Amino acid sequence: MFKDSIIILRKELRRMFTDRRLVFMLVVLPLVMLPLMYSFMGKANRTRQGEITSYTSRVAVCSDSRGGEISELFFQSLELLNVHVETAGLDQLDSLKQRVVDKNLELLIVMPDDTGDLITDNTVLDLSVFYNSTGDYSKFAFDQVVATFAVVSESIVSQRLREIGMSEDILTAYTINQYLAADETADLAEEGSVMGKLIGIMMPFFIVIYLFANSMKVGLDSVAGEKERGTLAMLLVNQVSRLSIVLGKMLSVMVAAIVGAVSSAIGLRIASRYLIDMSSDSGVNISEYTMGSSAIIQFAIVVIPLAILISSLVLLVSTFARNVKEGQGMIMPIYIAVMVMGVTTMQTGDVPPEWMRMAPVFNSLVVLKDIFMQNAVWGNILFSMATSLLAAAVLIFITLRMFNDERVLFRI
Amino acid sequence: MLRVEKLCKEFRNGRGRSAKTVKAVNNLSFQCRSGEIYGLLGPNGAGKTTTLRCLSTLIKPSSGNAWIDKYNVLEHGQMFRSKIGFLTSDMKLDGYFTPDYMMNWFGQLNKMQESQIEQQKKRLFSDLQMTDFIHKKIDELSTGMKQKTAVAISLIHDPEVIIFDEPTNGLDIVTSKAVTDFLVSRAESGKTVIISTHNMTIAEKLCHRFGILVDGELKEEGSLSDIIQGSSWDCLEDVFFSYILPGGDHV
Ligand SMILES: Nc1ncnc2c1ncn2[C@@H]1O[C@H](COP(=O)(O)OP(=O)(O)OP(=O)(O)O)[C@@H](O)[C@H]1O
Ligand SMILES: [Mg+2]
Repeated sequence: MFKDSIIILRKELRRMFTDRRLVFMLVVLPLVMLPLMYSFMGKANRTRQGEITSYTSRVAVCSDSRGGEISELFFQSLELLNVHVETAGLDQLDSLKQRVVDKNLELLIVMPDDTGDLITDNTVLDLSVFYNSTGDYSKFAFDQVVATFAVVSESIVSQRLREIGMSEDILTAYTINQYLAADETADLAEEGSVMGKLIGIMMPFFIVIYLFANSMKVGLDSVAGEKERGTLAMLLVNQVSRLSIVLGKMLSVMVAAIVGAVSSAIGLRIASRYLIDMSSDSGVNISEYTMGSSAIIQFAIVVIPLAILISSLVLLVSTFARNVKEGQGMIMPIYIAVMVMGVTTMQTGDVPPEWMRMAPVFNSLVVLKDIFMQNAVWGNILFSMATSLLAAAVLIFITLRMFNDERVLFRI
Repeated sequence: MLRVEKLCKEFRNGRGRSAKTVKAVNNLSFQCRSGEIYGLLGPNGAGKTTTLRCLSTLIKPSSGNAWIDKYNVLEHGQMFRSKIGFLTSDMKLDGYFTPDYMMNWFGQLNKMQESQIEQQKKRLFSDLQMTDFIHKKIDELSTGMKQKTAVAISLIHDPEVIIFDEPTNGLDIVTSKAVTDFLVSRAESGKTVIISTHNMTIAEKLCHRFGILVDGELKEEGSLSDIIQGSSWDCLEDVFFSYILPGGDHV
């Protein structure tokens, strides 16, 4: 019986790995997709960032009378920024606001009437700064101006304190991490574990996506396609048992799924370089992250049963459907549900809710995350393996029942 | 020899109360001897495909049975299958492989030795004049070549009983003749052949005996002379029309 499954598997594998188009879909695409996507996104992000910082923002200052000491300080600080300043009277306030709305102007600063105010007056100057959050330049100019004004404000306060004979030190209650030794970093996370966390959050999602995508690519054609072409009948009138047909087909779908998962895992490992570039500048080093052989074994123990589960799910749908098109229609909602599961586990914190550890697929995803973050517990690993295999066994059983049911196989 | 006994097949269409039972095959009995080509004739929807599917164990008869020697479809599925070669006309082989590869593959599935496969391949390829294209992808073959390939594949295990559902459907007269000549040669070598068709011309030339199936029931059975003798008809077509055309003798 097993021999027949192997004969069937061999043919399906030959089909998969000698057809260039299929090899591209099943192996190359999951491998290069993420690196390409992230390098592209990273690059686009960097050039955009550069463009924004080098842009000369248009800033309008609106006031009726000027000449105060404090407002002069603000003006001076503005000149240090990469901005073009125009001034206007308060009567133009509305039209200037409209220009901010229209993105003709990045920033509008309204100065109160400040004629002759002095630093030593201890008055509070109420400034308004208007910007447009839908414009990248406007938001950037706003952040810059607010930060600069904060520095000016601090220096004014210091000056006032000195004026009344107090030390400006009373403004500072404590400092954080200012006096660390040069070779010391505040983040005491183990080497590579920051990378592990990043990978641990992303990886399970992509693995489940490609397990599914590849299963679909191969599995739908494997039974529904053969039904549609009438070749299934040809197979059934031979000496092979229906169980060996199901097993052979399942093994081939599983191989496709695992190839996809491993490819995408390698792909994400490559892509994480760009991911780091994008998400932080804290000098996390990709080369610090390595998966030990025990982690790789754990990975296999979780991913292979998960692949078995997902391929038997696809095969069940494929067996039930009359043709490939109907199969695709049926599998789409399931695919989306699995994607949502991936996203959900991506967003759970370090301690997932208890039910997630119980439910099949969910628990595999959660435990995969643990494995990448190098804090997986064997009990959880084995439990997720057991639930996946159990669920798969149920699905295979149903598929077999369908295979023996002519109403399903010869539905018209 | 193939013996069909009181074969019935019902389909339930729809669900629940609106479900309707369709009697696709009703109490069908006939025999088909070795060395003989039996033609199952009937209009669309007569139940030909359903009958042949029952005979190939793809679907289970609702009642009745069919026998080859001491084996029957209900109890000895696997053994029965080893004795038949089955082909449907609505089949499209996977175009990615070559006829040669598919033959080897089906040979293995039928648990044949490599030498047996080689021998059988050689014979079928030359009988069906396939040698020019056995190493081409099936995708690249013409309809006729594909049908020859399908015929060869279904007979790789040299079965005693050949069950072909509309084997000449969609073929030109040349390929059609190649296939029918091949079937004649098989019958001459002692095989039992049963085909379904609605092409009366081919049937008259090819088959030794006929069964005319209308609405799942066998209306006439026997050789051409059996059927025509003592009646006003002089060819199969007339018999056929008398059952299905309005105003026909039997309508
Ligand atoms: N799987 C099925 N489920 C329900 N009804 C079916 C099924 N297969 C066949 N039938 C019905 O049984 C009847 C006989 O169909 P069948 O396909 O055997 O006819 P046929 O003689 O082969 O016709 P054709 O010449 O068109 O191929 C038809 O009424 C058909 O609708
Ligand atoms: Mg038919």
